[in-house]
Amino acid sequence: MGRGYIVEDTVERYLSKLCEQAGPVTGLLIGQSSAQRDFVVMAIRTPQSEESTAGNSVDKELVSEHARQVSRMLPGGLSVLGVFIITDTDVKDTLTTLRQLVFAVENLISSERLWNPADDEVTDSVMLHVNTKTRKTVCRTFDVKDPKSTAKPADWKYQSGVCSSWATVSCCLNVNLLVPLPHDKTSAENMAECLKEGLKVWAHQIESGVCLIDGKKLPEDSELIAGQRRNVRQMFTAQLLITSKDQRLPDVVQLCGGSVSVRGAIHSRAFLHSNKPKAKLAEKLLKRDVVSTVASRVQMLLEEENQSGDKQQTEQLCLPRRVFCPVKVNGPVCVCDYQFSDEGLAEVIDRLKEMLDIDAAEEDLDTRQEMTAEVTESSDTAGVCLESLCEPAVELAEASEPKKNNYIGVAMATAVALLATAASMLYLSDA
Amino acid sequence: MVVVDSDSEIILRVKGPLELKCQLDTSDAQLMQKVISRTFESLRSQVKSESCVLAVCDSPVFIWPNRGALATPEEITPNAPYEDLQQWIQTDDQDSAGKRSAKKKSKRSSSASVINLGLMMEVTQPGPLSAPILSKTVQKSHFLTTTLPMDCVVCTSCGDAIKDACERLLEALTHQLCDMEKVTLQHMRGPTVLVPEVLHFLLPEPKGLVTVVYPAGVSDSQLEAQRKELHQQFELPDDRPYFRRANAYHFPNEPYKDGYLRNPHVVLTHPTLDNGKVYLVQGIYSYHHYMQDRMDDNGWGCAYRSLQTICSWFQQQGYVERSVPTHKEIQQALVDVGDKQTSFVGSCQWIGSIEVQAVLNQLLGITSKIMFVSQGSELASKGRELANHFLTEGTPIMIGGGVLAHTILGVTWSETTGQIRYLILDPHYTGAEDLQLITDKGWCGWKGPDFWDQTAYYNLCLPQKPKVI
Repeated sequence: MGRGYIVEDTVERYLSKLCEQAGPVTGLLIGQSSAQRDFVVMAIRTPQSEESTAGNSVDKELVSEHARQVSRMLPGGLSVLGVFIITDTDVKDTLTTLRQLVFAVENLISSERLWNPADDEVTDSVMLHVNTKTRKTVCRTFDVKDPKSTAKPADWKYQSGVCSSWATVSCCLNVNLLVPLPHDKTSAENMAECLKEGLKVWAHQIESGVCLIDGKKLPEDSELIAGQRRNVRQMFTAQLLITSKDQRLPDVVQLCGGSVSVRGAIHSRAFLHSNKPKAKLAEKLLKRDVVSTVASRVQMLLEEENQSGDKQQTEQLCLPRRVFCPVKVNGPVCVCDYQFSDEGLAEVIDRLKEMLDIDAAEEDLDTRQEMTAEVTESSDTAGVCLESLCEPAVELAEASEPKKNNYIGVAMATAVALLATAASMLYLSDA
Repeated sequence: MVVVDSDSEIILRVKGPLELKCQLDTSDAQLMQKVISRTFESLRSQVKSESCVLAVCDSPVFIWPNRGALATPEEITPNAPYEDLQQWIQTDDQDSAGKRSAKKKSKRSSSASVINLGLMMEVTQPGPLSAPILSKTVQKSHFLTTTLPMDCVVCTSCGDAIKDACERLLEALTHQLCDMEKVTLQHMRGPTVLVPEVLHFLLPEPKGLVTVVYPAGVSDSQLEAQRKELHQQFELPDDRPYFRRANAYHFPNEPYKDGYLRNPHVVLTHPTLDNGKVYLVQGIYSYHHYMQDRMDDNGWGCAYRSLQTICSWFQQQGYVERSVPTHKEIQQALVDVGDKQTSFVGSCQWIGSIEVQAVLNQLLGITSKIMFVSQGSELASKGRELANHFLTEGTPIMIGGGVLAHTILGVTWSETTGQIRYLILDPHYTGAEDLQLITDKGWCGWKGPDFWDQTAYYNLCLPQKPKVI
């Protein structure tokens, strides 16, 4: 018995339009899987590469890289379900290529993830082949956990309002990470490594945290929308409670070459299909989005930094803020993008067009969920620190300069501390 | 230190790890202290903030103590009595130390029940808020990472509101952070920083449960000055330990992991004699008997087991740190003092009170008095001596005579009539650690003077407790 894909009408129109283009068109299929069936919400064509490949070859690297970047723009609950190809070649001749494509995409996406799929999750990826000459569509799935899996037939059905009554779970979450840098090597790669390790520990804390939905701890298998009418848009607010990891390291004090911290807040969102979703699904998807949005942004920031070259001893960099854009279907589903502090909304709109083939106007964008981070000039320590767990980390840099006279050093440290406390108190009272 | 009156019915206990992280320049001790103090200060703010959450263990209840005790589920209101919380807790109905018959329920009302809470932080908050900033500091220094094992105990009077209980818990948490800061700063030596650890001690009435923060990894022998201070603070006698790590209180929901029964005698009803008074062992011992530890000593090991019971008393009262010795270790000790040949080790030979005295001295540094009776009938007249022993030393007594050894845990003696009963712990029991069976069948029970062989001679080993803290 094969899988069944329920697909938005808009996807059919999109694919039909692509049929009119010359040459083969590849792209991604976006949606959500569940045990019983899968829902496809969007289709996105692969962007044109600068070096246009003449001929009919499918560029696996381009498609995979596109999938990797698109994944960062999908809030919780949405993921790349598979690929499509629109071509005049017969499906039999493209099957192998498509199979390789499906696996390449999945491998690249999963290599970036900071979480592992659960055992009971669907591991099938879909491949849709549209023949421009006959207009016939062939739909097959592959189990990406099994490298030897063969194509299985699957149902592909168009429907309107597939995600019109999907539920949304969201929250605004404070991040407060502090990781030491290694003593002997302080290159950029090492900072990235340390951050990645720190993020893993934090991700584990989030994953084991308690999730309250609309202020209540629901039993895992209880239905999220129990007793509510369908077709009514459901929005839920989540709260996450965590405990620190009880780690007893043998060396309480270690040598370090400095430290790096990530502090601020993020807005997290996940969408749930309307087919009796359970509380534990909401919790799982939201937590994954929390982890992904922070990890992606740190990754993006480090990628930017690597290109800018010049390294300073102490610096503060703003992570980009999350901006949401509705998908042009009836329903709550949105995609997102990250806007750096030196960018305007025009750049966001450009990326939405290039990466997701979405035509958005500034009014469509939801920029209200996160404020742009700002590095304040008064003290470059507290900044926008909401829970000042460890200001000492940066203050020490100021204080240790006048090494000669310890008294001055101490006095300075105190002064800086007072400034920092004052600055953070200002922020705390504003919030 | 936080004091809890253990006469109250319910104890509230909040536990949870708090992360302590900061960058340190260990070349400057004063600066290090300032940085650490500041980090503790921010932890105190964290605990006092609206993000602090108390999770009632084994229940769906979460309370925000700094938001007027706002709670979920919403049926729980801040002014409701805190005992209400118990209804929400899912328990498995089993006692920690084996079965008990309905008849012989513990008479102590202060076998307090505990509501356990976990300390959590809410990381979510209504938005919108600013996106994160990544700050990098490159500077060769040190980094301190550890977890503070918060563990506070609070008692409230019956009928106290949840709101007030929360306030007390918050106070206890901030106070404990101060204690931990003191201990950390006190024991800082250059780049070494010691992590605090929290222990609770049950002091004699009316003082109750007391919480102390010690530096982890520092042995009891090095903490004598702290213990002296505590003894003075709580007006405790300075001849017996109350604050060694071994004296730490075991909460009802934290059974001993070694599987031995502790103080099985407490479930018994003491005999009533005309003008009779009960004199019992003071403190905690474990019941050691035949066949335990996969050691088949049936028929010959009774004195060894009695000796083990005595050693367990000294360990659990904090006089010694070494664990209860095995049969082999006992035999080796006797060889080491020259009392036995090397072939003795691994044999199944009996030992008597003199050997028990020798081993207590050799392995534990404990001296003992020997009492001799030429016939068992004389034991009935030893009431005064035995009563005095339990009053002043309070240690279990090993008695050996003929071919049997037993442990005496107490006497009921009437000064006027001379009537006497002996509380006996019998090491000849070969079954499982079943409290009901052991007490029903008299393996731990009160015996009359006819329990002894009236014509045999007996030696008693009366261990003397050292006058130390």
